[in-house]
Amino acid sequence: MELATQLITYGLLMGFIFAFIALGLALIFGVMNIVNFAHGEFMMIGMYVALLISSYLPLDPLVSLPVAAVVGFFLGIISYRYLVQHILRGPMVAQLFGTFGLMLFLRYLFMLIFGPDVRSVKHGILVGKTLSLGWVMLDLSKVVSAGLCLLLFAFVYWMINRTRLGRALKATSIDAEAARYMGIDTEKMNTLAWGIGGATVGIAGGLLAHFYYVTPTVGMLFILIAFATVALGGFGSITGAFIAGLIIGLIQVIGGHYLSELKFTFVYIAYFLAVVLRPRGFFGW
Amino acid sequence: MGQTIKDIFSFEEYPRYERIGLLIFIVIILIFPLVVGHAYSRAVMIKFLLFALFGIGWNLIGGYGGQVDLGQAKNVGFGAYTTALMMVWWNTPFWITVPIGMIIAAFESFGVAYPMFRLKGHYFAIATLCVALVWKELFIFWDWTGGARGVEIPVKATADFVHMQFPSTIYYHYFVFFLFITQLLYMNWFKKSKLGYELQAVRDNEEAAASLGINVTWTKVKTYTITGGLGGVGGSFMAVYYLYIDPDLVMPLDLSILIAMTVLVGGAGSMWGPIIGAAILIPLDMYLGAWLALIGGKYGIDYMIYSFIIMIIAAREPKGIWGIVERMRRKG
Amino acid sequence: MLLGVKNLVKEFGGVVANADISFKLEKDEIVGLIGPNGAGKTTLFNCIAGYYKPNSGKVFFDGKDITGWPAHRTARAGIGRTFQVMRIMPNLTVEENTMIGGLCRTNNPRVARKEAQEILKLVDLTREANAYPTALPIATQKRIELARALATKPKLLMLDEVAAGLNPLETKEIIQTLQRIKEERNLTLFLTEHVMEFIMAISERVIVIAAGRKIAEGQPEEVAKEEKVIEAYLGERYAKGK
Repeated sequence: MELATQLITYGLLMGFIFAFIALGLALIFGVMNIVNFAHGEFMMIGMYVALLISSYLPLDPLVSLPVAAVVGFFLGIISYRYLVQHILRGPMVAQLFGTFGLMLFLRYLFMLIFGPDVRSVKHGILVGKTLSLGWVMLDLSKVVSAGLCLLLFAFVYWMINRTRLGRALKATSIDAEAARYMGIDTEKMNTLAWGIGGATVGIAGGLLAHFYYVTPTVGMLFILIAFATVALGGFGSITGAFIAGLIIGLIQVIGGHYLSELKFTFVYIAYFLAVVLRPRGFFGW
Repeated sequence: MGQTIKDIFSFEEYPRYERIGLLIFIVIILIFPLVVGHAYSRAVMIKFLLFALFGIGWNLIGGYGGQVDLGQAKNVGFGAYTTALMMVWWNTPFWITVPIGMIIAAFESFGVAYPMFRLKGHYFAIATLCVALVWKELFIFWDWTGGARGVEIPVKATADFVHMQFPSTIYYHYFVFFLFITQLLYMNWFKKSKLGYELQAVRDNEEAAASLGINVTWTKVKTYTITGGLGGVGGSFMAVYYLYIDPDLVMPLDLSILIAMTVLVGGAGSMWGPIIGAAILIPLDMYLGAWLALIGGKYGIDYMIYSFIIMIIAAREPKGIWGIVERMRRKG
Repeated sequence: MLLGVKNLVKEFGGVVANADISFKLEKDEIVGLIGPNGAGKTTLFNCIAGYYKPNSGKVFFDGKDITGWPAHRTARAGIGRTFQVMRIMPNLTVEENTMIGGLCRTNNPRVARKEAQEILKLVDLTREANAYPTALPIATQKRIELARALATKPKLLMLDEVAAGLNPLETKEIIQTLQRIKEERNLTLFLTEHVMEFIMAISERVIVIAAGRKIAEGQPEEVAKEEKVIEAYLGERYAKGK
């Protein structure tokens, strides 16, 4: 009973985090039908922001969150303006390997600057502490991260559905041409989607740095989880990303408990089964 | 029969200067190890030929088929492990392990192909990625394949043509070149075969292809199966060349990505694509990359340059470098 | 009866594109399918040729029930089609495009190529055999689509708005081409079209659909005078006024 509660709680916590990571991916795909392979790298950069701030400045890594958000935001916008905008006009193959090139570029850029070594954030309010809730023992950093992810996810969800800007984004994702006729600047929407995508995943990186190791190659791992999440939930659906994130989190934690070497394998298998049995995901298009 | 032979060896539909170029290329490769004795340079050349070999196989599904497969490394792994394990367990001759490895790779490819080809574009690419990753993790997890420790192939003392082990790199050079030429000729035949034409029709326009009686999914499945088998060959070579294999060497994600990107940059769907792509990347990696890592401990600059090229190609000329050549040719 | 459609219904999430359509086509006929925009002409084509599965109803062809057969099967059974929006293969030459159709009937690409060359002669495209389609004008591309469909040796050729985008001279040429290939290849033609002059000139019989239903059928001149037909195109006032 205790084990079950522990696993489920952890699974849900990781689920909130995965859902938040996948959010940006789902948003970008929804708005312009392109998969951002560099999404994981944006997150990796967020992690390095947290690492640098906590290592070189006498500041808590939590402070890095807004910085990571800003960095992620600009990263997204620059990527859109200088690369994605151009490849959108091309064939699907080009779109695929365009963001793929970006992914590799960022990864190896950081490898050049920081070396391939694995590092971690050593000090911080949240680092290395545990929380006891009844009979469940949780990493404080994971709890706070999950909570923040949930909050921010809700915020973005609210923004998309209740603000004018958000609705413009939604309109663009449903039918870009129609949105243009209604006076919506779809270029601006595209740019914004990339900005938000980058910002959210940058924050996720900052949070993850509290309890996960930081290395240039970490992006690939998380982007596959993000893909699995978005595929399961439906490319383009934010609600779907949330539910799928929880499922993936549970799969990873529970599966990982029984066969820890294969914990990511279960996620990949889940993706495969999801796209094969229900290609559109739960809510996607 | 005579027709098939002609199809394999004839390059007549290529313009004259391409045929001459191919001839020059072959001659250069043939005399290379006789002229260059430097061990590292020879190793670079072998690696170049190996990646060109990988590229040719991938080009079938990725270039002529237009389906971006990001999981080819699993097929390389199947070939490598088949050869390695059969040699370790039963001292099997190399040339027997190759077809078996190919069959295993093809069989697995066939098995996953049907469900995967219900997907399009990005979904498909990611599915191929996931499948390859699952296999890699399984190979690490399994003990009977050596797990993360890998497999060491017993070293033979003298030149052994049965197990394809040699004391000098010169043998490996001609060996991998032989494999390369074989697959090049196969590709040449494939392009002119019924499946080859159907595949290109599917790539260009699936609905139109269906209206002409082509079973689109089946065409893709067949091609993907063949590409799987071809990938295994390079893996078998790796086993006897490196004499040690493990999942991170023969089936990592990075290898899949590399194979795909190499062909895409060089020009997917053309004969020259894999050659050009490998000719750029391998020297970049082995000379610039290795040198910088050595002197300054700086890693990754070669891949940075390469990925920058990838982005530019994606934005400007999705048909790759060969596409640029053809475009200029059409203008001039 | 070569083609028989019985009570065909096709809907898309609540929108009924084809409602209870029935008609027959005999061998060697030239039949036109007309109707205003959005009437469901292309949907009907797609249901017959296998791109959509009808929700209910039946399609019979050449003595077989082909309802729900996928596109490549109907093609092999003898239904050829061209598309409203050009679907040529841009990376293959005109001759190769045509060859692909031939591969439906032979396993030997060489044989397919020879036959393609014959067909190109028939549609007057021999000069362009080694050119790439994207460099050629629309009217020529239409003939490529025709050649390609012909290579599959169809019994029934379904043409979706083949005259769209052609000027009067090109329209006349394509009518001549169609009549020529019909004779040479023993075809039955089923055309859908917007351009009235074209379809009235070429069809022996027309079927009119509007808002998903068949509303008239018969000789072109008679059908054009029917009140329902005029109403479908121009609205009630004009129909009554006539």
